[in-house]
Amino acid sequence: MSATAPIIHVVDDDASFLTAISRLLRANGFSVKTYSSAHEFLTQRDADAPGCVLADLRMPQMNGLDLQSALAQAPTPLPILFLTGHGDIPSSVRAMRGGAEDFLEKRAPKERLLDAVMRALGRDSRERMARERQRELRARFDTLTERELEVLSHVVRGRLNKQIAGDLDIHERTVKLHRTAITTKLKVQSVAELTRLTLEAGIFPEPVRTFPKG
Amino acid sequence: MSLITIIWCMSASASLTLAGINFMVWYQNRKSWANLLFALSATGTAAWALCELWMMRARTPSEFATVLKWGHVAVWLLIVSLVGFVRLYLNAGRPWLAWTVCGLRTLLLVPNFLVGQNLNYLEITRFEHMRFLGESVVIVEGVTNPWILLGQLNLVILIIFVVDATLTTWRRGDRHHALTVGGSIVFFLSVSSSQSLLVFYRIIRTPYVATVSFMGLVAVMSYELSRDMIHVLELGRKLQESEAGLREVEERMRLAVEGANFGIWIRDLVRNEIWATDKWRALFGFAKAERLELGQVFQRLHPDDREAFRSVLEKAAEGDGSYEAEFRVVLPSGEMRWIGSRGRVEFDGDGKQILARGVSHDITGRKEAEQETQNLRREIAHAGRVSMMGQLASALAHEINQPLGAILRNAEAAELFMQNKSPDLDEIRAILADIRKDDQRAGSVIDRMRGLLKRQNLDKRSVDVAELVGEAAVLVHSDATARHIRLELAVADHLPPVIGDAVHLQQVLLNLIINGMDALNGANGRDRRVSVTAALDGPKTIEIAVNDSGRGVPADQLTHIFDPFFTTKPNGMGMGLPISRTIINAHNGRLWAENRNEGGASFRFTLPIAEKDART
Repeated sequence: MSATAPIIHVVDDDASFLTAISRLLRANGFSVKTYSSAHEFLTQRDADAPGCVLADLRMPQMNGLDLQSALAQAPTPLPILFLTGHGDIPSSVRAMRGGAEDFLEKRAPKERLLDAVMRALGRDSRERMARERQRELRARFDTLTERELEVLSHVVRGRLNKQIAGDLDIHERTVKLHRTAITTKLKVQSVAELTRLTLEAGIFPEPVRTFPKG
Repeated sequence: MSLITIIWCMSASASLTLAGINFMVWYQNRKSWANLLFALSATGTAAWALCELWMMRARTPSEFATVLKWGHVAVWLLIVSLVGFVRLYLNAGRPWLAWTVCGLRTLLLVPNFLVGQNLNYLEITRFEHMRFLGESVVIVEGVTNPWILLGQLNLVILIIFVVDATLTTWRRGDRHHALTVGGSIVFFLSVSSSQSLLVFYRIIRTPYVATVSFMGLVAVMSYELSRDMIHVLELGRKLQESEAGLREVEERMRLAVEGANFGIWIRDLVRNEIWATDKWRALFGFAKAERLELGQVFQRLHPDDREAFRSVLEKAAEGDGSYEAEFRVVLPSGEMRWIGSRGRVEFDGDGKQILARGVSHDITGRKEAEQETQNLRREIAHAGRVSMMGQLASALAHEINQPLGAILRNAEAAELFMQNKSPDLDEIRAILADIRKDDQRAGSVIDRMRGLLKRQNLDKRSVDVAELVGEAAVLVHSDATARHIRLELAVADHLPPVIGDAVHLQQVLLNLIINGMDALNGANGRDRRVSVTAALDGPKTIEIAVNDSGRGVPADQLTHIFDPFFTTKPNGMGMGLPISRTIINAHNGRLWAENRNEGGASFRFTLPIAEKDART
């Protein structure tokens, strides 16, 4: 099993259904791990591995919705798909609001089930990539010095070199040196790209003003 | 005046006075023969006293003899009435002795008047005066009349008769009367007889003074009669007192009864009269003086309650006579009220009804409250039933979908494994075993559901079909109106009750009616109709049908619609018909569907008629 192969985590207190669905998923080429309770899944899962969760809605102790909210708070969340013997409207509404990928009956057609699994895996891989990129960006920004960050915050707000020098009470040439260091470290070609990356990395919590005052 | 005159005259007058009083008592009440006999005894005593006085004062022997002769008449009267008194008053004494005494005494009057000068003497031979109580009185001697022996025998028999009567009384336990009446009479008779004999045979020299003893007899008899009289007066006074008490009790009773708003009635079945208190009349809407007849009273009863009440009365007459009933009364003004009635029929010795009486009171308030509670309970039961069925169906669907889901996924996996060039047969075998296991699991869930319906919830009683259909119609009425559907009921008259659980049967009916209404979704407004019919189907079965004017059931689905989870409705569970069929089967009935020639579907089920009403 390669590190990048996604794993489908199936959580159900019904052992018989657990076996059956894992057979089907394996026959369709997926890697499957089964858990008989939500608690077992939360303590045993490999946090880094990609994949998705298929959970029964009705389980003793911790039910599917509880599992959903516990998973949402984890550093590496996984998309969740709900399965139910017989669904009722209130719990399906709650599940979808909580960000569930889908809400399926246990006897749902195979195609719907596999589609939903594929969708969940796709979403996981997208979210995983986004998280990866953000982490990489953060690493790049981490190489900047305090002063360079300070200059950057002014640059992305569209301030001119002369204005920045005035604001920080330094020489205009020093500002230019800082900007060159920033673009070199962040490997960007233009101010526009610099601004986009800064926003994407979420470096400055406060909204960045791109137009000068007045 | 001389002492002798005073004593004898007073004795005579006292006796006469008592005689007069007792004669008057007898005259007032002709049945008090004891008083008449006493009056006669006292009269005899008075007459004898006067005779004795006269004899003591006689001037010639022949005058003495004549007075003595008439004195025997007085003695005859005294003895005969005394015998009668003893016989009557003590209710004892041998009748043959009594007749002997009376007969002999009467016969002795013949020699008294015909033989010699009187019963004592053939002839008086000596006539002399002597001092008695300080006075000069006459005493005589003469030739004894042999008939006097019979007279003396007569006295002995008399004493024997009285002694015998006294002993009988004593043995009976009435010692008081034996001593006072019997004993005294024996004593005074013995004294007077002995004295007369001693005088007659000249053993002692005194005049005849039997009056003194006779007065003793009169006093004893009079004392007893007076005691009786006083006793009677006492009883009379007590009776008056108790009557006053009774009136008081009656009055209190009346107050209590009116305070409790009870109306009382009494029906005399012999004279066919009904008496009732004003309160009762007001309850049933009769005027105070109006004559009451049973027919009229029945007319006041609500027509639906008449037969029931009549049968309650009949049952009471067959049983111990008491009954309790509740019925409606419709007043002439049209007002209706509920009456609670309790009563009792009384029988004579032959078991014939002679009297019926009872109380009635107004229970309208209580009945209305009961009705309200019942309506409320019915609504709650309905709400609970609908949600119970929903919950049951939902839980069952969940339970069954678990194994069904596992079966499906296993089968799909097996299909994929089979596509391999070298399928893993062990895996496929395991899958098949799991499929079999899950199938059994699903089956056991269904069995459990059947068991649940059969075991726990069926409370079979006699159920009125019209009521069953009517109640279901009431429950869906607002739904039908909102959906512009006409709900028609056609229940045959006088259907016998069926055996079943009303709650479950109603559930089935509701389910079928709602299905029928759902079948009209999308149908035109022209003929949106659901009809419920109920009629006899053979001697032991009633068939109920729910018909709709929809498009009917496609022919290939007619049998499948009773399969669990088979549904044609977007939000259907596919449980209503299978559960309904399970319920009807548990009632030993049949539920099936057919399409009607005039269009639409007809869901029909049969129910067995309650045993005793089955028309065999």
